Amino acid sequence: MKIRALLAAAAAAMLTLAGCSVDHSAQQTDKPTIRIGYQSFPSGDLIVKNNKWLEQALPDYTIKWTKFDSGADVNTAFIAKELDFGALGSSPVARGLSAPLNIPYKVAFVLDVAGDNEALVARNGSGVDTIAQLRGKRIGTPYASTAHYSLLAALNQNGLSPSDVQLIDLQPQAILAAWDRGDIDAAYTWLPTLDQLRTTGKDLITSRQLATDGKPTLDLGAVADDFAAQHPDVVDTWRQQEARALTLIHDDPAAAAKAIAAEIGLSPEEVSGQLKQGVYLTPEQVASPEWLGADGKPGNIAVNLQSASEFLAEQKQIPSAAPLQTFQNAIYTKGLPGVLSQ
Amino acid sequence: MSVFVDVTPDDATTTASAPGVRSERRRGRRVLIRVALPLLSVVVFGVVWQIAAASGIWNQTFVPYPATVWHAFVDVSTTHDGVRGYAGYLLWEHLYMTLRRVIAGVVIGVVLGVALGLVMGSVGWLRSVLEPWLTFLRALPPLAYFFLLVIWLGIDEAPKITLLALAALPPAAVATTAAVVAAPVGLQEAARALGASRAQVIRDVVVPSALPETFTGIRLAVGMAYSSVVAAELFNGLPGIGGLVKDASNYNNTPVVLVGIFAIGISGLVIDGLLRAVERRAVPWRGRV
Repeated sequence: MKIRALLAAAAAAMLTLAGCSVDHSAQQTDKPTIRIGYQSFPSGDLIVKNNKWLEQALPDYTIKWTKFDSGADVNTAFIAKELDFGALGSSPVARGLSAPLNIPYKVAFVLDVAGDNEALVARNGSGVDTIAQLRGKRIGTPYASTAHYSLLAALNQNGLSPSDVQLIDLQPQAILAAWDRGDIDAAYTWLPTLDQLRTTGKDLITSRQLATDGKPTLDLGAVADDFAAQHPDVVDTWRQQEARALTLIHDDPAAAAKAIAAEIGLSPEEVSGQLKQGVYLTPEQVASPEWLGADGKPGNIAVNLQSASEFLAEQKQIPSAAPLQTFQNAIYTKGLPGVLSQ
Repeated sequence: MSVFVDVTPDDATTTASAPGVRSERRRGRRVLIRVALPLLSVVVFGVVWQIAAASGIWNQTFVPYPATVWHAFVDVSTTHDGVRGYAGYLLWEHLYMTLRRVIAGVVIGVVLGVALGLVMGSVGWLRSVLEPWLTFLRALPPLAYFFLLVIWLGIDEAPKITLLALAALPPAAVATTAAVVAAPVGLQEAARALGASRAQVIRDVVVPSALPETFTGIRLAVGMAYSSVVAAELFNGLPGIGGLVKDASNYNNTPVVLVGIFAIGISGLVIDGLLRAVERRAVPWRGRV
């Protein structure tokens, strides 16, 4: 009797707690849900989210936004079939499309291209002025990120292998702490941490330079294969809203910065500084042969992803690179370029 | 890691008087139960795992084949295709680094914890002062304050060992305090009546009677420290078994994650077994005072 009463109380408590959820994103359950994974790097994704453009354009759907901290987590969520759209860097995408993961998703948008917002910085007083001088030094970077990829590429360019330096796996906040204490000599990371490092250090190379050298890193919007096959109209709407956000970044950077600032908790001034350092394509550029390409003619981004995959295999991060065909098949070009301007 | 309290099997003494054949058979059955059942459970687990993987319900990234995990184990333990183990270190080197950190952390945490427990158990007002702090520390998940340790202590060994020590201290301190408080008053008063000083009472009466429970606290402390290993090796954790698990999960490399988990779990079992053996040797009077 007593146990039953206890169980009843526990069940009642569970129900009450479940009802007290503070999740505002998915309150109506009668509509089909679109699950979007986003990250907090400044991009059109955050503008779309903050202005509720998708919610307005797709009133028949519930939009559920989930924040992720890294591309690896987004990959995991895609594998678990918990996401329809996701924002992640090009090296996680290259890894996801290669064996053994073979994640069934397609690249449907280029959110941004890393420019001066990701860079390799050497600390003043470490005696390092060139990348070649990094031999034997301690360098911090968040492993499995685009910055990690860029760091390996920059070292490779200068004839250094990862074992010639001491690589340390650190998240941006920890990089800042280790930097201040003098525990690391250099770091490859991104804004806003990067700006704080720059006050007591100097850039050795930025991702903008690496992009011109043929190793660009991008932030991409991916869509799950199943979802794209079942709801091509939703993918079209999503791409249009992302294109609208890119246009806003170009035409009204102040409004764009304000929307992004509201999402990531920085001041609009800080965000507009960050926006200036990144490379944001125009919708026309996104659909150009240099990036996504046109319907049936996947653009150069497939080549980029394939070379990223080869590089990851060379660095023993994946067993082997996937062929170019795999990446060409994984570019979602349906209706491009016309669909973006509708 | 849970703590099993050894119950001294009383039937060992009672069966001694029974006819020899029966006690022989009983012993055989006991050995069978103690050895065969755990083995059987491992085999059943392996079979269920194989079936689950072969059923194809889950992606290989979630449920890899046991054989895949075995290959990952071999790869991580050997040098192959010019790659040394995982991230340049072999599995035993990862494990060694982690164990070194755990031992350093646990020794610091347990020594401080037991000392604190003795003081808190013997001095009433100190207990009132320190207890809330200890409970506060005990309630904190290590991840919550690890970032602060990184800022204060850097990214090398210091913050990791401090974290493990902070995880190990409260269980040792709490168990020791409780044991000291519970030391039989009758024995203490008897010793005092025989002319023992306060220090002598603590040394000869309180500490011996508190030791069994303190040992349980120490085993709990080791368990707490061991379960904080992945958190401690979150930053710059390579080489280290926690760092290996974290890094492999960054790459969705489930087989290596499982190898790491098995390595942590099995070494945890071994350590607990060793501690239990030490406990039996060091406090044979457990349960008999």
